[in-house]
Amino acid sequence: MTVPERVVLSEMELDALTELVNLGVSNAAASMRELVKEEIILSVPKVTIVTRDEAIRNLGERDAKRLVAVHQDFEGDIAGRALLIFPETKSLELVRAIVGSDLSLEDIIELEQEALAETGNIILNACLSTLANNFKRTLKISLPEVLHGAGSEFFYVKPPPQIDDTVLFSFINFSVRERNITGYIAMLLDLPSFATLKSLLAALIESTRSHTAAPDAD
Amino acid sequence: MPTDDDISQKDVLNAINGGLVVLDHNARVIRWNSWMEFASRITEHEARDRTLADIFPGIALTRLHFAVNAALTSRTSTIVTHAINPSLLPLLTRSKKPLLHDITVTPVSDPPIRRCLVFVNDVTMATRRERFLRDRQNARYDAVVANAPDLIITVDHEGLIQFANSAALSQLGFASEDLVGTNARELFETKHEWQLVLQGALSNSPGGRRIDLIARRRDGTASHLEATASLWASGTTNFVTVILRDINERRAVDEALRELNQTLEQRVQDRTAQVMQMQEELRQSQKMEAIGQLTGGIAHDFNNLLQGITGGLDLVKKRVMQGRFNELDRFISGAMTSASRASALTHRLLAFSRRQPLAPKALDVNPLLGSMEELLRRTLGERIVFELVIAGGLWLTKCDPNQLENAVLNLAINARDAMPDGGTLTIETANAHLDRAYAANHQDIEAGQYVCISVTDSGSGMSPATIAKAFEPFFTTKPLGRGTGLGLSMIYGFAKQSGGHAKIYSELGKGTTVRMYLPRYRGEAETEDLVPELSDVYSAHTNETVLVVEDEFVVRELIVEVLKELGYSTLEAEDGPAALKILDSKQRVDLLISDIGLPGLNGRQIVDSARETRPALKVLFMTGYAENAAIAAGFLEPGMSMITKPFAMEALATRIREILEN
Repeated sequence: MTVPERVVLSEMELDALTELVNLGVSNAAASMRELVKEEIILSVPKVTIVTRDEAIRNLGERDAKRLVAVHQDFEGDIAGRALLIFPETKSLELVRAIVGSDLSLEDIIELEQEALAETGNIILNACLSTLANNFKRTLKISLPEVLHGAGSEFFYVKPPPQIDDTVLFSFINFSVRERNITGYIAMLLDLPSFATLKSLLAALIESTRSHTAAPDAD
Repeated sequence: MPTDDDISQKDVLNAINGGLVVLDHNARVIRWNSWMEFASRITEHEARDRTLADIFPGIALTRLHFAVNAALTSRTSTIVTHAINPSLLPLLTRSKKPLLHDITVTPVSDPPIRRCLVFVNDVTMATRRERFLRDRQNARYDAVVANAPDLIITVDHEGLIQFANSAALSQLGFASEDLVGTNARELFETKHEWQLVLQGALSNSPGGRRIDLIARRRDGTASHLEATASLWASGTTNFVTVILRDINERRAVDEALRELNQTLEQRVQDRTAQVMQMQEELRQSQKMEAIGQLTGGIAHDFNNLLQGITGGLDLVKKRVMQGRFNELDRFISGAMTSASRASALTHRLLAFSRRQPLAPKALDVNPLLGSMEELLRRTLGERIVFELVIAGGLWLTKCDPNQLENAVLNLAINARDAMPDGGTLTIETANAHLDRAYAANHQDIEAGQYVCISVTDSGSGMSPATIAKAFEPFFTTKPLGRGTGLGLSMIYGFAKQSGGHAKIYSELGKGTTVRMYLPRYRGEAETEDLVPELSDVYSAHTNETVLVVEDEFVVRELIVEVLKELGYSTLEAEDGPAALKILDSKQRVDLLISDIGLPGLNGRQIVDSARETRPALKVLFMTGYAENAAIAAGFLEPGMSMITKPFAMEALATRIREILEN
């Protein structure tokens, strides 16, 4: 699909975004570590910018059709929806990794929805607030909701999306209690939000550069 | 007076079935609804202007503080659930039970005013209901699983263990936390089979297939298990529950049984060998019994032959003394004829009594019967007329010739005994075609082409009752001590063994016919090793020297005389030492002819000693004992042969030539 006037991030802007998201998930990992009392490592290898259809395709190709997602809406200077997505088959494993294996299978199944909601909430909040803080902006972030279904359903939740929506898409690796679980983190933005994001990233790079290149300035 | 707005707001907040706390920008309580008052046992008045940390001292509320801070500063909404937070607020239900709750923290106003709402959601009822339902559903299942003697494990789609029952833990020697979360694959030595179990269940293929697995216990020992697996789903997640039955004991029993079977086979083999050995012995004793039966007739016959010889020689002696040399030739020829007949008779007798293994071969029955004719005729005596009726163009059959001879001989003896006052014995051969109608009326015989050998006597005959039992072992009509009763049963056995059949036709007072049907054999006859015919004379080549060792003077002289006539140089020795004296010298010896049974050194010992200096010495042993001939196979080494006495001089000449030219 060709997108008219598609906004493109520069290599440096993309790097900066990846760094911010990583900073966010490592904050999330710190919170979770405190909660779980176990070493938790979260990492995001590389953020890519794709269209909504590409994102759906990525999800469909890599894993089983059935997925589970924790999603939260956010609004402010940037508006959109953030999603943490796992293959449904991994979700119990993730919950067990977080709540520990002393619980019975039934208990884990029972806790699954709430545990997923809170875990997704911690991670998405951390990412979004890290972005907002660094941009010195405020984002109003909703409570999480857990969805089950196919990738396309997550990306077409109402309100009806814009044709030129952009998705910041990445893998996210969980490493906890000797388990490695790979999921996805996605941020669905409309065109104005994405343009704002680009300008905020550019400004951030600029300010960082002026700070490091000319420490005496300002 | 409060405004309508105020009243409704406050009433609404108090009416909500959930905890509502509004915090100001310093995270201090500005609203605390009735639900909170009741659940926390703290009034709004007491709570107002205090932080949650102040209100609930000593409670770890890091997550909650963080959430409040995030809502106030960055307008972030947060959920804090009982699912992953070990402790939240110390709230109680009406019945003073711990109150399970989730908390959401959301910003409630836009900057610059900062407020946040802490909402406490009571999930006690929902959770209780779920647990109650689950427990009720699971009670029976749990009871079964916990007490099952079988190992039961539940794994997810990847094989990660989610649950292991107490039998699994105790039998494999692991603690629950060791197993849960690890991949079940690690438990099994037979990883491929485990994969089959898992995949079979995941693909939900019908019919729980049992698959044998070998598990490693914690102590390293192996355990044999039989697995059945089934798929189930909880919500959208698939699980496989595997029941593993301990089959170690069963395997041990199987093993023992297999071993038993193996030794059983061995035992059966041993027994079979023993039985075969006994059958072999029996056959031989049958033969010897037949010989015994024959002996009377033979002795009589042999006397006649000796009479012919001595009578002839007597006459020759008289004539020589009288100086009458004419007609000597006639008496000598008469004596020689008698002697050669006697020789043929003993030869057959010895050959017959010789132990021989069963060896079926393609056979023309006619010549075999022909070779027996002389023996039979003499055995039967003068009062019995013997007729041999041979069919022209008789088919071949395949059977053991010795057995057949034995059978015919037995039948002949039976016939003779049935005709004490004389009569006619007829042996007849014919081609026979047994049709389907015949086969249908007789058990164990197939329609087809057979060679039929009938032995008919004109004797006393048998009653139908006797006929019915005649083929049974140990059935005999003969007086005690005159027969074992095995003769006819042996004949029947032989015919059956050869793929044929035997049948008795008899009428009291008229006679008996026994017919043996032997299946037609399509192929070439196998030629028998025939005794060399008295034909060509084999003469010696230049100066070939033969040493003759024989203690019997007459025999030695005879052999030497023949050899001289054939042109050999001859040397003589009457015993071992004399022979070795010659053999130790440089004297040329091309062939040693030695009796086996000699006084002192026997024939074999002479040869062993001589071969130390003459390794290539050719040897021809002479023996009068059939038993010696039978053991010849193991006795003879290369370059050694054997000839059985009595032998025709020309047979001797033939053998000598064969040996020397080989």
